[in-house]
Amino acid sequence: MKENKLKAKDFITIGIFTALVFVVEFAYMMLGFIHPYVILSYAAAIPVLCAIPMMLFYTKIEKFGMLTIMSVLIAIIMFVTGMGWIGAPLIIAVGVIADLIAKKGGYKSFKSTVISHGVFSIWVGANYIPLVVTADDYRKDMVDAGFSDDYCNILFKAVNGKTIALILLCCFIFGVIGAFVGKAVVRKHFEKAGIA
Amino acid sequence: MRKLELDPRTKLFMIFAISLIVMVNAYTPLQMVIRIIVTAIPILLMTLEGKYAAAIRFAVLYAAAFILQNYYLSAGSSGLLSALITGYCGIVAQFMPAMITAWYAIRTTKINDFMSAMQKMHVPDGVSISLAVVMRFFPTIKEEYESINDAMRMRGISMGGGKVTKMIEYRLIPVMFSCVNIGDELSAAAVTRGLGAPIKRTSANEIKLRAIDYTTMVVFAVSTVLFMAAKNIG
Repeated sequence: MKENKLKAKDFITIGIFTALVFVVEFAYMMLGFIHPYVILSYAAAIPVLCAIPMMLFYTKIEKFGMLTIMSVLIAIIMFVTGMGWIGAPLIIAVGVIADLIAKKGGYKSFKSTVISHGVFSIWVGANYIPLVVTADDYRKDMVDAGFSDDYCNILFKAVNGKTIALILLCCFIFGVIGAFVGKAVVRKHFEKAGIA
Repeated sequence: MRKLELDPRTKLFMIFAISLIVMVNAYTPLQMVIRIIVTAIPILLMTLEGKYAAAIRFAVLYAAAFILQNYYLSAGSSGLLSALITGYCGIVAQFMPAMITAWYAIRTTKINDFMSAMQKMHVPDGVSISLAVVMRFFPTIKEEYESINDAMRMRGISMGGGKVTKMIEYRLIPVMFSCVNIGDELSAAAVTRGLGAPIKRTSANEIKLRAIDYTTMVVFAVSTVLFMAAKNIG
């Protein structure tokens, strides 16, 4: 019988890489309070930065479900850190799709890994969705929270119903670019060391 | 006297309720009061568990951010410095309650109790094991990062020098290396202790919901409902 069930070791791997991805993402997010353009740059920078741990994670995936569980964990963490529940279904959906794509390539083919990582990266864009769906409320909240009017003007000019599709697409493209960057880093450091 | 110990499920419920509350901003005085109360409860619980230093640190930090945010900053503020202050007060005042609760829950829950609570809630093993690892792993990453930083400084590679890409490379890659190794050790240790064995897991420390758990849950449920209602009433 082929071993298709996830084992304890796989769960621990998922946990470790989720923690790593979250730390990278959170460190970058802290910069967002300087200028609204930084918030926009999340869509480009976070997929690329997170690609480094993600590509190492991909080398450890052999079974279906690991990416799905990771997306569930990310959704939970995003909820707890105050990103709202609106983006959660999308995060989990892209996790499942990314998992299916990677599965098609047998978790080994580089081409499907790249596309799968691009799709998975859309989770970063999911965090913008509360901004669009509840734009007016969100703006009021931010002004109340002490953000300046300028900040909000720029932010909402950039993030609205028209640009959200573009932002999601941007996440995908930079996810693909990130996959190449991450692969190069993994090859440079980890394959030599025999970890990947 | 026995220390006050809440059931992990109560702590999860607290995190859930507080995440809902911090997501919406407080407009009315009633909401402000609710927010302060739900922030005060975890701080109080921390002192009861003997974590005085952390409790005081969180209380002071939160109070400072709260006062700054409500009395010194407005929509008219601009400029880089005020943007920075705004940002940090925003983070602190907005997310601190959730962070405090999460910190409290993580630091005071034994992984054993967490696992049996998850099992009682019928969460699939995969999610609960992974989540437990994530919870335990943040302090480890921080520790590893600090040691790597020290090692880098000893060799004269400081934060400011060099290109941005190098800065990321010199920090992220070693952290990933040590995390992967720790992960391997962790799974070896866990598997020898029977994690993932195909039988129902038992626990020496039986968890159950006591009166104090129900009280806490009711307090938080009522606060959340009131908080949401207050927003709609206006």
